[in-house]
Amino acid sequence: MQLTAPAPANTFGRVRRAFLTPRAARITAPLLFLAAWQLIAPQIPSRILPMPIEVFDAMVEQARDGTLVENFSVSLARLTLGFAFALVMGGVVGVAMGLSRRLEAVLHDFVIVGLTFPYLIWGLLVAMWFGFGGQGPVIVVFIAALPYVILNAAEGVRDVSKELRDMAAVYEVPGSRVLRHLILPSLSPFFFASLRYGLANGWKGLVLAEVFAATSGAGWAIAEMREYGHFAGVVGFALYFAGFSILVERLVFGRLSRRVFRWRPAALERGIETTQ
Amino acid sequence: MAIEAAREAPAGLVPEGKVRGRWGSRSLLGWRLGGYLVLVGAWQLLSAFVFEPYILPAPTAVLSEMWEILNRGDFLPNFWATTRHLAIGFVLAYLVGTTVGILMGRSAYWDGFFRDYVMLTLTTPGLVFALICVMLFGLSTAAPIVAIVLTSFPHVTVNVVEGVRAIPRDLVDMATAYGVPRRTVLRDVIVPAVAPFLFVAVRYGFAIAWKITALTELFGGREGVGVQIRVKFELFNMAGVIGWAFFLIGLALITERLILQRVERHFFRWRPRAFA
Repeated sequence: MQLTAPAPANTFGRVRRAFLTPRAARITAPLLFLAAWQLIAPQIPSRILPMPIEVFDAMVEQARDGTLVENFSVSLARLTLGFAFALVMGGVVGVAMGLSRRLEAVLHDFVIVGLTFPYLIWGLLVAMWFGFGGQGPVIVVFIAALPYVILNAAEGVRDVSKELRDMAAVYEVPGSRVLRHLILPSLSPFFFASLRYGLANGWKGLVLAEVFAATSGAGWAIAEMREYGHFAGVVGFALYFAGFSILVERLVFGRLSRRVFRWRPAALERGIETTQ
Repeated sequence: MAIEAAREAPAGLVPEGKVRGRWGSRSLLGWRLGGYLVLVGAWQLLSAFVFEPYILPAPTAVLSEMWEILNRGDFLPNFWATTRHLAIGFVLAYLVGTTVGILMGRSAYWDGFFRDYVMLTLTTPGLVFALICVMLFGLSTAAPIVAIVLTSFPHVTVNVVEGVRAIPRDLVDMATAYGVPRRTVLRDVIVPAVAPFLFVAVRYGFAIAWKITALTELFGGREGVGVQIRVKFELFNMAGVIGWAFFLIGLALITERLILQRVERHFFRWRPRAFA
């Protein structure tokens, strides 16, 4: 903000100014992190913290021998399956909850408990119930995403403007147009929120459940590497996790939300970006 | 909006859809209690007639297991260890989170610097941080504490940033123009504007913190609720896992309801009821 002052004449000043822009800061931060890591790693006794280069090698290895792709694709399949169930079931329950206050009274507390209950405990319970077959993690995705879908579906139903619906009825607007221009647009932010938060939390629950209740998947793979003391592999895989988060957040949700909400004023769109 | 959401559902991020607590009306109380009765009844019946007790222990079996844990003397040391980790870790996370939040809210440069890291830690599963911390710090108490700081500070930061941006610029400018002393501006304009966000930050941060504490303890630790959950899991003692999980949730609920909410209510007692 303060950086819009006229540029100084000398090049040194210009370079310094370029370093102080927020855009440069986004690059400076990871570089500083890397430098600190490089300096600190050799100081730690018994070399528990691997050097950046070792981690890089491990990451290349994981990408080459298929550890990365295999485990992430197994996890993604589980995530999709569990979330699809949650979307169907949560959509039905949520819409019913939005329409009936009695049903809301019955279910409200359980939905809140569902938001709070640690995925760790679910992971352990499904491991004891279903063994290591891989059904467990799918169920945990379902459990983790369900309350978000329910809450948003219920809220979306309540949010459809009664006045506009009445007006549409008075002017005899056809049902398909009411659906297209009134109901869907007012439901879409809620659908989008349930997609985003449901998937984000489903993912967190999934990888945790995989540690205890599966013998494949991203969560299982990283826990396994730690078990065998392959520390560079653990850190490398953790970086893949981080990269995956960025990918989903930026490309999928950034693009998608811009497209879905292109009819909204820019200020509101920003609101959606910051609420998470 | 974020405030209401956090108020109703302290332990999960409820984005767009606010949870509307309507349990004030007496007529719905019966439905609400009915929900609990159905759940506990179904649990009791299923464990009595459908599943073996080691698959699904009856609610009474879980209660008697909890009673036994209380009497055996391994309750206090473990519960206390978890409380200690949580307290130290959360205070540190809150300090770091507020500092970073103020920096990010006030300067575009620091916003660019920390933005990616905050986004990354918000979306990366806690499992990853728990594993790395256990790997680096072994069985020491540092592991859970560092894991808490790393995972829960961004949740604090996000709210503090919003708070800093909510400071009414025009009032501050006017106060400056009329020569109001800085201390008065701070007390009467800035603090009241930021305070609600600071409290929401406590809620959000704490909701993450207690879960990551148990998770980290479970992967490596000498004492703590997480360690006990792991022991019971390895013994395939379902009632023990559920019992300890209830102790953990109890700890979180007690802290949340009895301490955090009370402090908040005391702080905001000057506000009209509608806001409180």
